[in-house]
Amino acid sequence: MRVGLVSPYDFASPGGVNDHIRNMGVQLQRLGHETRIFAPSSRADVDFDSARFYRIGTPIAIPVNDSVARITLSFHLANQVAAIIADERFDVLHFHEPLMPALPMTMLRLSTTANVGTFHAYARSNVGYYYGRPLLQPYLAHLHRGIAVSEPARAFVNRYFPDFPLHVIPNGVDLDLYRPGLAPIRHLRDENLNILFVGRLEKRKGLGDLLRAYRAMLPRVPRSRLIIVGDGPLRGRVESYIARHRLPNVVMAGYVPESVKPRYYNSADIFCAPATGAESFGIVLLEALATGLPVVATEVPGYMSVLEPGKDSVTVQPKNWRELAASLVILARDPEMRRRLADYAQQKAGRYSWDRVASEVIEVYHEARVALKAEPATTLEVSGVHHAV
Amino acid sequence: MGAWTWRAFKVVQSLVERLPRSSAYALAVIAARFAWWFSPLARPRLEYNLKVACPELQDDVEALRRISRQNFRNHAKAYADLMQLPSMRVETMRARLKVTGLENLEEARAVGKGVLVVSCHMGSYELVSAIWSATLAPVSLFAEEVEPRALFEWYRETRARLGISVLTLDYGGIRKVLDALREQEMVITAIDRDITGTGYLMPFFGRLAPIPLGPAAIALRLGTPLLPVCCYRLQDDTYQAEAGPLVLAKSTGNPRADQVRATQELLRRIEGFIEGHPEQWHVPHRIWAGSK
Repeated sequence: MRVGLVSPYDFASPGGVNDHIRNMGVQLQRLGHETRIFAPSSRADVDFDSARFYRIGTPIAIPVNDSVARITLSFHLANQVAAIIADERFDVLHFHEPLMPALPMTMLRLSTTANVGTFHAYARSNVGYYYGRPLLQPYLAHLHRGIAVSEPARAFVNRYFPDFPLHVIPNGVDLDLYRPGLAPIRHLRDENLNILFVGRLEKRKGLGDLLRAYRAMLPRVPRSRLIIVGDGPLRGRVESYIARHRLPNVVMAGYVPESVKPRYYNSADIFCAPATGAESFGIVLLEALATGLPVVATEVPGYMSVLEPGKDSVTVQPKNWRELAASLVILARDPEMRRRLADYAQQKAGRYSWDRVASEVIEVYHEARVALKAEPATTLEVSGVHHAV
Repeated sequence: MGAWTWRAFKVVQSLVERLPRSSAYALAVIAARFAWWFSPLARPRLEYNLKVACPELQDDVEALRRISRQNFRNHAKAYADLMQLPSMRVETMRARLKVTGLENLEEARAVGKGVLVVSCHMGSYELVSAIWSATLAPVSLFAEEVEPRALFEWYRETRARLGISVLTLDYGGIRKVLDALREQEMVITAIDRDITGTGYLMPFFGRLAPIPLGPAAIALRLGTPLLPVCCYRLQDDTYQAEAGPLVLAKSTGNPRADQVRATQELLRRIEGFIEGHPEQWHVPHRIWAGSK
């Protein structure tokens, strides 16, 4: 099959959706399918096979959903895209966040092949979806099959577009890359208990709560260390908090290359994901589970679709740093419990292997192609709406 | 004093980090020129060392000046690389590193007892080991604990981001080095300077200098092959790493003599590296008695 994967986000900056696409591309290629990736990019070197990557549009940063989306907003991509689509003759075009302007929407409008859309995002409400419903509905009609990465992501889309059927296929994790037994960062392996945070330093990831919790737990578990992997707009504030309260043993690792990240997981004892909401899935949780780390996480819908509290994790209420501190202390003092949670976590991660996820997605591709064949002739309704905009 | 050194370093580093690579190098070249003119100790010490390493420079003042100037410039560029490391996307820089003698590394790996890379303070070793670590295999650096503490922490976190473990020259550090080698990893260290003050006097460029026997002792204990490696900067600001043939420390029953023999063999290789690229050997420190 010839598959085109379309991302709305800047491919040069790290993020869950682009990691998903990158892994999916590799996995499909491994299974013998021809893949191409379409994405805007702020840099030419995107660390991906350039023969299979189309760089379309320049991304700009737009604050959305307590985070920053780097998307391209130019609606003049149509000619470029139309030429590539005609040239490549895809069997399936797979849109990630299909209703995100401008690249996925433009391509969706122009595509004449089987279209599959994956919805990654979750939020409590979305003004764009609410008011944009009449405009977006015709675009959605162009999708032959829809996928949501988790139950909350599905519920979120269905809240605004109730009749649109969605399969839930979770994100995957590369079990060859994320596994226990890799070389740790050796100087971080000492008598201290390491608590690991991985994520962009932005408000919704809840690092502020974790820092407060760490400060509260220090007198009770003095031999502990907090490792913060990730960079982001809050870096300065995090650093000043650490300096102001003289928090000892905090390692700000900054942006860590993908090849080194698994080794950070292997250097940790507890993984903590304190997001305050608006997470649809939490790929970092899968990475932690696959490495066999016990998880302390907040009860946000996206995380709860992955975690089983008590079996692989301890969960606390979002934004409640006291509860977070208490859970960390309990887990830090109980190696037996950590071991039990970790064993289950690692066993469970097998369910999320990329082979499994990819085969489910390919199943959906086949369904979409069948649906395309059953369709009468293509209509021009959508392009009419686009010009009306 | 220590706190101020750290603050000054951090200010310069945050500035350099934000510059494009070419501007950072331009700044480095200017800084190197000033340091070369005004440094009270570094230049005389470096020139002393260069004269020992390359006896032909003893009479040729002009050539000595030229090489020491180039040396300062390369050293400053290496510092610029280091300062840019926190925001550099090293994983995409594999193309900038050329490696020769890879077959020696493969041979060392085939022994199955880890690899102890023995090098000297030459070239942008920070950046080269970072590229190596982020794109090829885990690396540990067995190195001194610099003062002040905050600066050392910065060094350690910057390197750790790229997967380099930094192990100190103390008992705990040595234990971790042994662990790393037992798990078949690569540990890098340098023997051209005696940092702990426990070196054994042996000829280095024909004159007695204290040289650490630690790497040879570890190699004897674990059977790890010693791999002499040097790296240097090429004309176009890319990097070249060069691995020499393996040195295998053999035990004859007299540990000290065995250590000395292996270390001497390593030193001959390292002398060869330095003679080939004296303008990149950044050691403005006292190595031989008689230096300032």
